[in-house]
Amino acid sequence: MGRLLIRVCAAGLLLSTPVLAAQDLDLDVDLRAVSSDATPSRLDGGLGKLRYDAQHDGLRLGDLRLGYHGDLTTTLHVTAEAVAYGDHDVNPVDLTELYAEWRPIPVSAWRSRLKVGAFYPEISLENRMHGWQSPYTLSFSALNTWVGEELRTIGAQYNLDWLGRAHGHSVDVSLNAAVFGWNDTAGTVLAARGWGITDRQSTLFGRFANGGRPLLARTLFYDELDHRAGYSLGLNVKYAGRLEGRALHYDNRANPAVVAAAIQDTGWDTYFDSLGLRWTPTAEWTAISQWLHGRTYAGNVAPVNAWSYDAEFLLLSWRHGATRLSARYDRFATHQTTSDFYEYVDLYFGDRGHAWTLACDRQLNAHWNIALEGIELSSWVAQRALIGAAPQATERQLQLAVRYAL
Amino acid sequence: MDSKCALLAACVTACSILGATAPALAGAELSVTVTGSTGAPVAGAVVVAEPAQSKPHPRPGLKAVMDQRDLQYVPDVLIVQTGTEVEFPNSDNVRHQVYSFSPAKTFHLSLYSGHEHAAVIFDRKGLVTLGCNIHDSMVGYIYVTDSPWYGRTGTDGSLQLHDLAPGDYTVRLWHPLLNEAGPDLQTSLRVDEGSTGTAEFRLHRPLRPDPRSLGADKKWADY
Repeated sequence: MGRLLIRVCAAGLLLSTPVLAAQDLDLDVDLRAVSSDATPSRLDGGLGKLRYDAQHDGLRLGDLRLGYHGDLTTTLHVTAEAVAYGDHDVNPVDLTELYAEWRPIPVSAWRSRLKVGAFYPEISLENRMHGWQSPYTLSFSALNTWVGEELRTIGAQYNLDWLGRAHGHSVDVSLNAAVFGWNDTAGTVLAARGWGITDRQSTLFGRFANGGRPLLARTLFYDELDHRAGYSLGLNVKYAGRLEGRALHYDNRANPAVVAAAIQDTGWDTYFDSLGLRWTPTAEWTAISQWLHGRTYAGNVAPVNAWSYDAEFLLLSWRHGATRLSARYDRFATHQTTSDFYEYVDLYFGDRGHAWTLACDRQLNAHWNIALEGIELSSWVAQRALIGAAPQATERQLQLAVRYAL
Repeated sequence: MDSKCALLAACVTACSILGATAPALAGAELSVTVTGSTGAPVAGAVVVAEPAQSKPHPRPGLKAVMDQRDLQYVPDVLIVQTGTEVEFPNSDNVRHQVYSFSPAKTFHLSLYSGHEHAAVIFDRKGLVTLGCNIHDSMVGYIYVTDSPWYGRTGTDGSLQLHDLAPGDYTVRLWHPLLNEAGPDLQTSLRVDEGSTGTAEFRLHRPLRPDPRSLGADKKWADY
């Protein structure tokens, strides 16, 4: 149903915009040379936490992205993001976002906005470029990797903005409230594989690469199982372009007692709170920190399986002219319990770890960009014992990206 | 000095320049300096000298341009006389949507690129704050005044206004990053023919941080 809705939206978009203006489109191609000693990747059915592993390094397609940002009327705007990753996905090309936004012209310091479609909840402070890409590093923080893997608001979001800067003040405030469906499987990846550090966003019609082992084979992203809407409530505050703070509470309100035979899975009742702060004291320096903590429940016989999870990171970035240097420290954990909060002792799933990411990015001209990124990630993953591997592992990945933007 | 005031009141002197060589109909001059709370000069302050007795008649045919470049209004502050036609070209390769809900001029220009819209006439004095409904970080100002005597302070915090008609004036101060209000942002003085008046303003509170100094990136989206 969710996919049908999105297909209808996509068809409507194409029919309503017979002529696409060149300035409404942006195209990125990202090619990479990768060296990795990581264990088999989470994208290839393994429990490695990085995008590439020792069997999948060399020359790779980072992504091929096509974005459309057009205007149906002067106050109704449309965004569509299509991407190809070349990681033997189910669909070679798929959508990551598709939404319309009504943005009326302000007549006072208060402005309402309404988004309808499939889009990101307002959590990330590092994924600020078109296509939800990061200007700081090639790979996202563990926290935002999960947001990209499992979270999309498919529904409607209302924003109430207070445009302080247009009213002679230094502060802008925005409240957001969203109601959504088709996110009843959020939490599946986190429980099964734990946190990861990649730049792979899940797609609206896709599976998680390679059929999703060890996920249940038929689990799709963005499924509606229980016909019960989820919600999120958030607050964004900006001060003079220098500080931006975000808070969000998310609850998909999925019913873990609902069994969906078609995908051999139950709903995953997932909720979390997140906080974030981005500080830009000068044009050269940026500091970003985010924190997220939540729980997810699955199963139809009480006490059901439950996981608590949390992740946080601190990123520092320095830009001088066309060069940007960034460093990020990530810390993360998932911990399996049961819904009555006793330890789960039969088949324990859980992970904990930390990672350092260093990146150097240089814009060569208006179209060409090169970026070098190194990650060292140490983690303990209980599930590794199930496949005969040592639970503790340190994984390293070095990537050189050559990117062309049209 | 009024203790409620956040400003040190402007110290104003007007002195005559006497001399047999002064031309009979030479206009007056006004020298203004603006310093911040630390004593450092304040650049970019808007200074307007409004005559008390006679209201200047707007001159017809005045035109000005407020450009949009690199996701910013250029200049950040445009000072115009009442009745001026202002054009809003868009020099970026993304669309902008200019709006203002300021009482002095409420208007909007629907989404556009290039030079799609006709000039807008600013026919009422006051401060007009400009926004862009697509890029919330874009903020600009149009300061509309009846007076033909205005300007912005340079990097040394000073401004010279020339050819003022002799008489009484109210000198007003404003800055886009001003963090205070009150009667000390204006002062009254008299300038006589062939004389130079001076006005000194000192702010008591630091200016607000300037978001424009951080720049903007067209590749950034509103996530």
